[in-house]
Amino acid sequence: MSEMWINMGPQHPMTHGLWNLRVRIDGEVILDVDPEMGYLHRGIEKISEDRHYNEVITLMDRTCYVAGLSWEHLYILASEQALHIQPPERAQYLRVLCEEFQRIASHLMWYAAFVQDIGLMTPFLYGMRDRDLILDLFQSYTGARMTYEYMRVGGVRNDLPPGFTDQARKVLDWLGPRFDEYDRLCLGSDIFHKRCDNLGVLKANDCVRHGVTGPMLRSAGLRRDLRKDRPYAVYDQLDFEVARADTADVTGRYLVRMEEMRQSIRILRQVLDWLDHHPGPVLAHELPRWLGAPYAPVGREGYLLKRHYPKGVGFSSIEEPHGEAQAYVVNEGGEHPYRVKFRSPVFANVSAARQYLIGYRVADIPPIMGSVDVCVGEVDR
Amino acid sequence: MAEVSEPEPRNENPVLWVARPMATAARQFAKSLFRPSTIVYPYERLEDPRFRDRLEVASGKPFGVGHVWDNYRGVHALNIATCISCNLCAFSCPDICIEMVTVPGGDPKHPKKCPEIDYGKCSYCGFCSDACPEGCLTMTTRYELSTPKRSDMVYSPQKLYDVFRSKLPMNPIRLARPENEDAILLDPPLCIGCNACARDCPTECITMLDVPKPEAKPGEKLPKRIWKEPVINDSDCVRCGTCISVCPKECLFWGTRK
Repeated sequence: MSEMWINMGPQHPMTHGLWNLRVRIDGEVILDVDPEMGYLHRGIEKISEDRHYNEVITLMDRTCYVAGLSWEHLYILASEQALHIQPPERAQYLRVLCEEFQRIASHLMWYAAFVQDIGLMTPFLYGMRDRDLILDLFQSYTGARMTYEYMRVGGVRNDLPPGFTDQARKVLDWLGPRFDEYDRLCLGSDIFHKRCDNLGVLKANDCVRHGVTGPMLRSAGLRRDLRKDRPYAVYDQLDFEVARADTADVTGRYLVRMEEMRQSIRILRQVLDWLDHHPGPVLAHELPRWLGAPYAPVGREGYLLKRHYPKGVGFSSIEEPHGEAQAYVVNEGGEHPYRVKFRSPVFANVSAARQYLIGYRVADIPPIMGSVDVCVGEVDR
Repeated sequence: MAEVSEPEPRNENPVLWVARPMATAARQFAKSLFRPSTIVYPYERLEDPRFRDRLEVASGKPFGVGHVWDNYRGVHALNIATCISCNLCAFSCPDICIEMVTVPGGDPKHPKKCPEIDYGKCSYCGFCSDACPEGCLTMTTRYELSTPKRSDMVYSPQKLYDVFRSKLPMNPIRLARPENEDAILLDPPLCIGCNACARDCPTECITMLDVPKPEAKPGEKLPKRIWKEPVINDSDCVRCGTCISVCPKECLFWGTRK
């Protein structure tokens, strides 16, 4: 048989977003793959250098359009460290609330896209329907369904509206049994297993070698979760388990994500109980003028900054729905960050495509790449 | 423990491969016949009181108070009457889509300026309504903006005022403000008493007070200036920074009043 290169993408149903997977095939067998990223590059790191610390938050929502609040949290943690600001505890709980709801929403989005990749249309509709309920919750307190702009340096924008926690609990009550239903739809059928078992195997040492994190790493048997290993915000006060599977294949990633959503519900119930009983401020008291919302052109800002705000650097890493995201913010004493750098987990996960695609068939590419949960917005930034 | 493994033993009967998921789907289908989860836009609309609570639609369970829609950040509403032309909305806009344009009503020396918003650029982040010290620029639940002309996307103050008068529900979320607000301080030796800050202050919280003219020592030349200095009333000040930007000698700056 003669070998040939085929392009999957940048406009292909398999690619969620704009990226290109070049595949060298011999008949049906994959001999080589070459992922090409960069179609969605917007220069977010460079634009951030020209914006106020708070204005960068609008870019964070657009970095990953299915997990905007996680990226806001990531950036906020790094910039607060760089600016030496301590947020109040209630704000930290509210951020955890955001992040865990966002994790469920992101995993539901992944579930909907993934099952469609393997040819199931019914679960797709269920996933999108249930994700919409979480978007409704987001809308009720952040004011938007997708681009939230909720967190601020030093806290969050506003407190929860009255009656929110009861509403959220009802959504959680509704979501819990839905995950069992998803399992019945997918795992209950051998067609799913025939399509996904022993596919896209990436063993733990390969994951570590290529920087692959998140559910892909946990499905390979390593219990590695930054929420447990290096707790940020208030995760050290919350009780949850880290999901793990041993199979290292597509089914394993499915099982890990389903278990993560159940654990997120467990975290959210604790957070909602805490929020009910601990009212308080949601924005830090010690904020410089230009970090509060009404900022104005600052005359002689160097004078102010020299007096009040020393230079600093901030580094944060959080367990984003896709893996370990990291941010580095350098504060050189201006009202804009001097340099912002992000590490996207999906970039590493996709870059390792050669490790988990070679040797499989062409028809296996959609399930395998679907199980990676590609979000091109954060790959290219 | 959160160890996850395959939940059920494999069933090799091909009929069950299809039948088991189909049973789950059929149950959902029967439910959705009576309570569809979809909303047939534009014949039905999400802000319709019937859809106050989407969970009720999806699950058929009563849901209590649901005001999902009221907090939505949509098109702005501007109350021209209370706008003080402080420029804070334009300063705080990350997309630079707000321009301050002159509206009738001010005196010719101090024209009244109100925000004009280009919705082709706006990202609906809400920073402008957070920044507004008088609460005259708020966000409403209006979201339909499609128009055949690009120029229609630019909303003049009058058009924003029409949105305000249409009595749409306003986004009630107000920003939590930092408690120790910085104040505007004066560096007295630099001031020349030019009155520019007091003239342009939107809230008229700056008063020019006389300062004593010092006695010139022999051989020393007094600076050529008006012997007045601005005094800022912190309780009226909205911290817009207009005085800082108009000061010709850069003698005003942000600081904390001890």
